Amino acid sequence: MTEETSALFEALFRLEEIREILRESAPKHNLNQEQKKKLKKEIEGIEKSLKQLEKLL
Amino acid sequence: MNPTEDIELRDREEDYININPLQTAGRTHPETRKAIDSYIDGYSVCDWCAGALCKMEKPPIAKFLEEASKFLGMNQSMLTNGCREAKYAILHAITNPGDPVVIDGNKHYTTYVACERARVKIYEVPNNGKPEYRINPEDYEKTFEQVKKESGKPAKLAILTHVDGSYGNVVDAKKVAGICKLHNVPFLLNTAYSSGRMPVDGKEIGADFIAASCHKGWAAGGGNIGLLSITENWVEKVFEHSGKYKVKPLEILGCSTRGSATMALMASFPRVKERVKHWSNEVENARYVVKQLEEVGIEKLGVRPVEHDVNFFESEILYKISETHKKKNFYLYNELKERGVIGIKAGLTRNFKFSTYGKTREQIEHLAWAFRDIVEKFG
Repeated sequence: MTEETSALFEALFRLEEIREILRESAPKHNLNQEQKKKLKKEIEGIEKSLKQLEKLL
Repeated sequence: MNPTEDIELRDREEDYININPLQTAGRTHPETRKAIDSYIDGYSVCDWCAGALCKMEKPPIAKFLEEASKFLGMNQSMLTNGCREAKYAILHAITNPGDPVVIDGNKHYTTYVACERARVKIYEVPNNGKPEYRINPEDYEKTFEQVKKESGKPAKLAILTHVDGSYGNVVDAKKVAGICKLHNVPFLLNTAYSSGRMPVDGKEIGADFIAASCHKGWAAGGGNIGLLSITENWVEKVFEHSGKYKVKPLEILGCSTRGSATMALMASFPRVKERVKHWSNEVENARYVVKQLEEVGIEKLGVRPVEHDVNFFESEILYKISETHKKKNFYLYNELKERGVIGIKAGLTRNFKFSTYGKTREQIEHLAWAFRDIVEKFG
């Protein structure tokens, strides 16, 4: 698998983890500390994957 | 049609507490959605096709089916396009047109339609009516006698809806299986609302066949998918292969679900195996909500005590509110939605059903609050 495709799936998968946080905290989305920590980690991971994809530009 | 404009983005799981009984146990887990993302294209499971879906080793579908059979306490399983297709496969394989088949009064409509398609003669075991709508296993005995008396031959098959999708009544399937054995009638258990949610052991029950709905009860999205699991002695008859295309099973027309739904099911399976161990928590959550609603005059119908996440309600108070509310009978849907709850059919106020499956305790409490708040505000 190319690095670009791997980065694409990594970002998509991390978005699914964020989606789960929204699902578990619906309807108010008042996140607890653990959820906030996880959200931060996933966003950082997505940013890293997007940087990899930006290399295609 | 413009897909980006005309297909609404679905946010029912992310922005609401969705209590639609059809959907709560089919809601996917993250790893399932990841599998679907990757296998989203048509025929995606067929990259390494060895001739038949159920025999495939890469992805490990054959191994999954072995594990699923063990999980259900059965000997062999096949993937089907849904529970209805699994039921029809049995009917097609073991009955002939005109044969008597016994079904229960709380059946899903697809049980009836599958019987019609198979051209069998339908005999129905009635429920005991309002308020319980209970299926008494002993009534299978009476219906078998009726079949013999009227048709002069024994029933060719008995089908039981383990848990119905309206009242959430859990029938003693073991007792029905015992009666079937006594009368030498093969027994098909429809587990659309049981397997994947609660422990189901076909061997312990004594079922010959189990039909499962995996997009309904096994957290498998990405399309339609079901399972047909059977005991060893029925393999030759039910899983018969084509004479010309030797690897292709007849009853699923060779290969059934050939895309992301299969991967979704395989990905959800570890979670499903784990979650059935926590069934008592789900029942406890349902009991909490029912108690909260009954305190404000929203009454549960069906067998008591609450034994499932699906429950049916009758409410004069919610109906009376509709007579004066500016949104008439659509008020309940709208008021619930405003409070972050969705899944009750729009327009219903007097009779409705919902499911509490898979919710966090916070969501369970929010759900009970939403109903109570509406009654307190308008009632």
